[in-house]
Amino acid sequence: MLPDDEDDKRLMGLVAGGDDDALRLLVHRHHARLVGFLRGEVGSQATAEELAMEVFIRLHRAAARWRPEAKLSTYLIHIAHNLVLNEWRRRGRKPTTALEFAPEPGDVSQGSARRVAELDEAFRRAILQLAPEQRTAILLVVQQELSYEDIAEIMDAPVSSVKTWIHRARARLRELLKDFHDQA
Amino acid sequence: MNDPELTPFDQELAKMLRRGRSVSVAGFAERVVVAARADRRRRVVVRWSSAIAAAAAVFVALLTLPASSEEALNRQTFALVAQDESAQLADLFGAAADLSLLAPVAERPAVVETFVAPGS
Repeated sequence: MLPDDEDDKRLMGLVAGGDDDALRLLVHRHHARLVGFLRGEVGSQATAEELAMEVFIRLHRAAARWRPEAKLSTYLIHIAHNLVLNEWRRRGRKPTTALEFAPEPGDVSQGSARRVAELDEAFRRAILQLAPEQRTAILLVVQQELSYEDIAEIMDAPVSSVKTWIHRARARLRELLKDFHDQA
Repeated sequence: MNDPELTPFDQELAKMLRRGRSVSVAGFAERVVVAARADRRRRVVVRWSSAIAAAAAVFVALLTLPASSEEALNRQTFALVAQDESAQLADLFGAAADLSLLAPVAERPAVVETFVAPGS
């Protein structure tokens, strides 16, 4: 196990005892990936932050009962996934709101920035058009780089279902992004 | 990644998705700590409220319920029986009922049998 995981365990013990500094450290360590995942899921930065906040509140409440059977990061994504399911139910299974993504500069030249931004938005729109299970599975495997086994645990589903969702998600994305893909 | 075969499209998808993998939010940890403290306080209040409500319910029950409930039940039973007219009638005709029940059991004396059926 990685040192970070061991440190997470130690910090969770402290959080269970009411140590706010330990909670602050855990949030600082894990929130960016969690918000990234949630933003991919719900398509809104504000909603992603609200849900991430709720994830950490639930983690804080469950700290005394938490057993380190899985990595804390996987546990957090598991809670986040359940909250996303509730969010979909609340919205009548329509995950999209107005997209709020801004292109992130850095790895592209100024000349191609516009083209990358268009592609970026097209990809994100396409992701939001996927069936919920497909979207979660593709985000977890590609964006969060989790194993099929971890994804199966997070989604409470067999590994075979996870593989099917990922396969279908790729096929659907290829279809939705055919125009951009052909131009590239 | 688990999939060994990555097409150019898959590579592009991965590149795009990983750009949004990590979204750091300034001041987020502090916001969480403040919310967690508020949540902790709220849960303490709810826990104490429940305990106080339960204690109050027990107190009210002790005040309103009679001290010896068995004795009270006996008194109520006797009062109901005293008010029951059908029970009083049954008491009046009780003896007759007892006799009619006993009648088939009484045997005729042997001498009566002789006079009733002389030919036998």
